[in-house]
Amino acid sequence: MLNILKLLLPAMIPAWNFFDIIAPSPRIQYAVLNGKDETHAEWHEFRPRPARVSFLRMLGRMVWNPLWNESLFLTSCAERLIEQPTQHSEDEILKRIYTALRRNADRGLDGKYLRFRLQVLHRAGERLVQERVFESRLMAMSDSTVNGGGHESR
Amino acid sequence: MNLDEAIRLSEILMGWAFALQSIEHIQSYSNERLIFLPRLLLAVLLIMGFHSAWVLALLLLLGLAMLHRFQGPYNGGADRMSLLVLCCLCLTHLAGTEYWREIAFGYLAMQLTLSYFISGWVKVINPEWRSGRALLDVFQFSAYPVSESLRRWADNPRLLFGMSWAVMLFELLFPVSLLTPLSLGVALFIAASFHFANACLFGLNRFFWIWLAAYPSIGWLQSRLLSTGHL
Repeated sequence: MLNILKLLLPAMIPAWNFFDIIAPSPRIQYAVLNGKDETHAEWHEFRPRPARVSFLRMLGRMVWNPLWNESLFLTSCAERLIEQPTQHSEDEILKRIYTALRRNADRGLDGKYLRFRLQVLHRAGERLVQERVFESRLMAMSDSTVNGGGHESR
Repeated sequence: MNLDEAIRLSEILMGWAFALQSIEHIQSYSNERLIFLPRLLLAVLLIMGFHSAWVLALLLLLGLAMLHRFQGPYNGGADRMSLLVLCCLCLTHLAGTEYWREIAFGYLAMQLTLSYFISGWVKVINPEWRSGRALLDVFQFSAYPVSESLRRWADNPRLLFGMSWAVMLFELLFPVSLLTPLSLGVALFIAASFHFANACLFGLNRFFWIWLAAYPSIGWLQSRLLSTGHL
């Protein structure tokens, strides 16, 4: 209960410091592996953004934008993992990547284990720098904690 | 707009915002459906005005369940504003007297004003925002632009410098718009356009709808202050 009140307080007395600094930006990459000891992993960016989005599509997203909103939540989870790792954030990201892969099986459920890593992009002077900051545990694809659902079918 | 009308309008707009948020989770994980199906139903009841006090109290309980489920907000500032509007509307129903109802709804209007002013303040004291560099970074490498083509806006630093100052000046000057009904109307139109642009460019559609739900509070507060000669 105390934890929930702690989470509620920033809503009742908000800081309103949107975009005060442009923090390093996390990118989620995943790899599907066949064995626990597999050393060579092919990393893929999770939900790369499209080349273009039409204005009509943007208008539609004013009322129906589940995938993007889920991606924003995953960005929050990634930021939480970087600041203060929790099992919850790691599980959420693993679960949602797994669901997305399962829904689009042609894009890679060809393995037994799933892992993700976080790369952060930030500016150092005039250069953009990418660093690896976190690597998740291996999740068995048969893990029963993943309870179905997800948005990838739309 | 009197207090009752403003509260009712806020309830309808918040109900709409909550319904849109909730529908997005209906095909999601089973433990999310347990929260968002009832939330969708309650949002519709709120729009209809059916036992609003009870509906708001139940929505608040679901809001706490969401905080627990996602260990914080699902969509950052939009969820925080959702909880703020919800708590203030709950308090207007719980308050025993007209005075405390006005305090609760006035608090929402004050926070809405601060949401713009403080956002402008934290930017203007940052040299990177004043030079346009911060907005350039947003387009160049942040997680927000909805397409790769939008990243090319980072190649136009003059445009982004102008946009940075337009946003900062608007946010800082927002409280001044309370002086007359016309200036407030214009400011709210610009503010809504700003949220609309953020929704299109950065996919922040939830911000647009929930900020709109707080606008009746500032309309009411202004007419209240004007009628008592405080403005």
